[in-house]
Amino acid sequence: MTQAEIKLCSLLLQEHFGEIVEKIGVHLIRTGSQPLRVIAHDTGTSLDQVKKALCVLIQHNLVSYQVHKRGVVEYEAQCSRVLRMLRYPRYIYTTKTLYSDTGELIVEELLLNGKLTMSAVVKKVADRLTETMEDGKTMDYAEVSNTFVRLADTHFVQRCPSVPTTENSDPGPPPPAPTLVINEKDMYLVPKLSLIGKGKRRRSSDEDAAGEPKAKRPKHTTDNKEPIPDDGIYWQANLDRFHQHFRDQAIVSAVANRMDQTSSEIVRTMLRMSEITTSSSAPFTQPLSSNEIFRSLPVGYNISKQVLDQYLTLLADDPLEFVGKSGDSGGGMYVINLHKALASLATATLESVVQERFGSRCARIFRLVLQKKHLEQKQVEDFAMIPAKEAKDMLYKMLSENFMSLQEIPKTPDHAPSRTFYLYTVNILSAARMLLHRCYKSIANLIERRQFETKENKRLLEKSQRVEAIIASMQATGAEEAQLQEIEEMITAPERQQLETLKRNVNKLDASEIQVDETIFLLESYIECTMKRQ
Amino acid sequence: MSAESPPGQDWGRGHGAAEVAEPGFKRADFPPQLLLHWPRKLTNRELREAGLERHRLEEAQYISSWPRRGLRVGEGQQPLEFRPVPLPSGEEGEYVLALKQELRGAMRQLPYFIRPAVPKRDVERYSDKYQMSGPIDNAIDWNPDWRRLPRELKIRVRKLQKERITILLPKRPPKTTEDKEETIQKLETLEKKEEEVTSEEDEEKEEEEEKEEEEEEEYDEEEHEEETDYIMSYFDNGEDFGGDSDDNMDEAIY
Repeated sequence: MTQAEIKLCSLLLQEHFGEIVEKIGVHLIRTGSQPLRVIAHDTGTSLDQVKKALCVLIQHNLVSYQVHKRGVVEYEAQCSRVLRMLRYPRYIYTTKTLYSDTGELIVEELLLNGKLTMSAVVKKVADRLTETMEDGKTMDYAEVSNTFVRLADTHFVQRCPSVPTTENSDPGPPPPAPTLVINEKDMYLVPKLSLIGKGKRRRSSDEDAAGEPKAKRPKHTTDNKEPIPDDGIYWQANLDRFHQHFRDQAIVSAVANRMDQTSSEIVRTMLRMSEITTSSSAPFTQPLSSNEIFRSLPVGYNISKQVLDQYLTLLADDPLEFVGKSGDSGGGMYVINLHKALASLATATLESVVQERFGSRCARIFRLVLQKKHLEQKQVEDFAMIPAKEAKDMLYKMLSENFMSLQEIPKTPDHAPSRTFYLYTVNILSAARMLLHRCYKSIANLIERRQFETKENKRLLEKSQRVEAIIASMQATGAEEAQLQEIEEMITAPERQQLETLKRNVNKLDASEIQVDETIFLLESYIECTMKRQ
Repeated sequence: MSAESPPGQDWGRGHGAAEVAEPGFKRADFPPQLLLHWPRKLTNRELREAGLERHRLEEAQYISSWPRRGLRVGEGQQPLEFRPVPLPSGEEGEYVLALKQELRGAMRQLPYFIRPAVPKRDVERYSDKYQMSGPIDNAIDWNPDWRRLPRELKIRVRKLQKERITILLPKRPPKTTEDKEETIQKLETLEKKEEEVTSEEDEEKEEEEEKEEEEEEEYDEEEHEEETDYIMSYFDNGEDFGGDSDDNMDEAIY
């Protein structure tokens, strides 16, 4: 784990779970697998705090445990999983586009709580939807369960590994920690539940949950004592499936940009057909025959078989090689080269970064070296048609930023500089890694800057919140316009300006974080698939 | 800036027309290395090496950013040649942005957000009794499924356990008397023997339960002792560890 990744994980954990969890989490990421008491000793926190933090981290699938010999349980953190927290809004928005509000809330509840049983999810989502509906209407549990089943069928949610149900023939004491297992076949199996009910609207008296008096607590526990039919079956969001979806989206939009809408629709159909049959890390999809594709095209598209064949041939001949032809049976067998597509996307990202950072001439040189693999400085000047001095300057600039590297080829065994060839080359994998590292650093900077801006104006923010609360309560009790005006004037005009600036800045920083995360996704996918190939 | 200025030009005159002021120094002021033709302004490092006086350089507008005062993007030492591309706007971008901010706020309200414990104040105040400053006894606000977690993570809340034990025991004797009555009613000849047997069994069960609970606690302690080399009492109670050493550092801690 690089320092940049650890710093980013620390910021994310602190923002979402507080300082104690952050301390424990970062310690585990830095030092690897450790037992409970060592963690408490090394971080200097009390044992109870460590236990609380570990419960939270395990609940959210950020830390896993393993039982070693002599009954010692060791905890290990997954740094990459912590970094996924940046992408939660994107997951939720994707579900919204595919399954509308119900699906969106289901995935949101699963992500916020780590893992939940199906009945708990359905209940919470129904309650939330009921609140947003008009008075008198409630959300039925059945509708929510239907959406849940659809999500499970398309593999967007999956079951967590569960405690194995062994017979009670355990002679000795129960093990210190259960070893959780999951059967491949059961991962998307929805238990047969008959959830009958409607969402409840929260009444205003329940809303001050902060100062809950003790009298209410036993009520809450008695609710849970009713037997839950799917006790022990927990569900979590399947992030790999979301990543597969994002990758498909990226490929389709790339084809749309490069060619036209129809070809992107064809590619989208092909990808949809191989969604469940192809594993997420396969280099290419299963071969699909042209006839199958023709049958599965969306209803609105009336293109004839001949036109489809022409499009497929065009796609297969394209130098980017997104689509490849693997055979001639069935009217032509076509596959989508997933790894090649990811490589092209990563390369395009690199080119775009070079262009935006150094200018279009540098980008021209970069593309040239990519195409020709190895070039001498003189050849670069000639091919790119850029004057020698500028070309030299640009090459050195890119070299210093590690977008390019030098390959030395000695002519003589003593490697004398005057008698060696120096070839410029672009190693895409290492350039992608370097860019990914920079992305982590930039997101960490963005988060820190946002926190700094918020802290600077904390007093002003609190004041505006108080004023809003006063206005809201006065409006509820029915106040005159003049009084409301007076209260609003408590915030002076320059303060209002300051608040506006703050809001604009924070929004810009947040939007930048989301944008950088998209780049991170592309680069990480590319690096992962290249490493697997090797 | 051109270093090939006419030598001896007077300081402060003739600024008007030229955008960059003509230098007022003599060529001899500059150390030799700076007499090259620089296509751009001097950097901080070069100036420092040259050792020239600051104010003269500032007045001559050789350095625009020394000292730094309220810089905006692209006005620093290395001016930004290419401005960043605008961020994606539109419905999707705004929705995802709002969602992100909402999630951030929501996660702070969930029970998973653990706030550090409020430090105990020096004097016990009357209002403390009526303020809920966190969960009692360091317990967790939410209920995880303890079957899925390692047993050592369960924070034992001592009060509830004691209540449980006291509740169980008084229940037992009424049950034994019921059993006894049943056996008396059913079989008369074997009455004495069965009484003895059932009461013995019940007593044994009671003892076993108590022993099991004790054993569980004892066993866990033993187990913990086997696990690690740390002294059990040192880490036993999270409240005592490090909690007392807040303010008064007069006493030495051994």
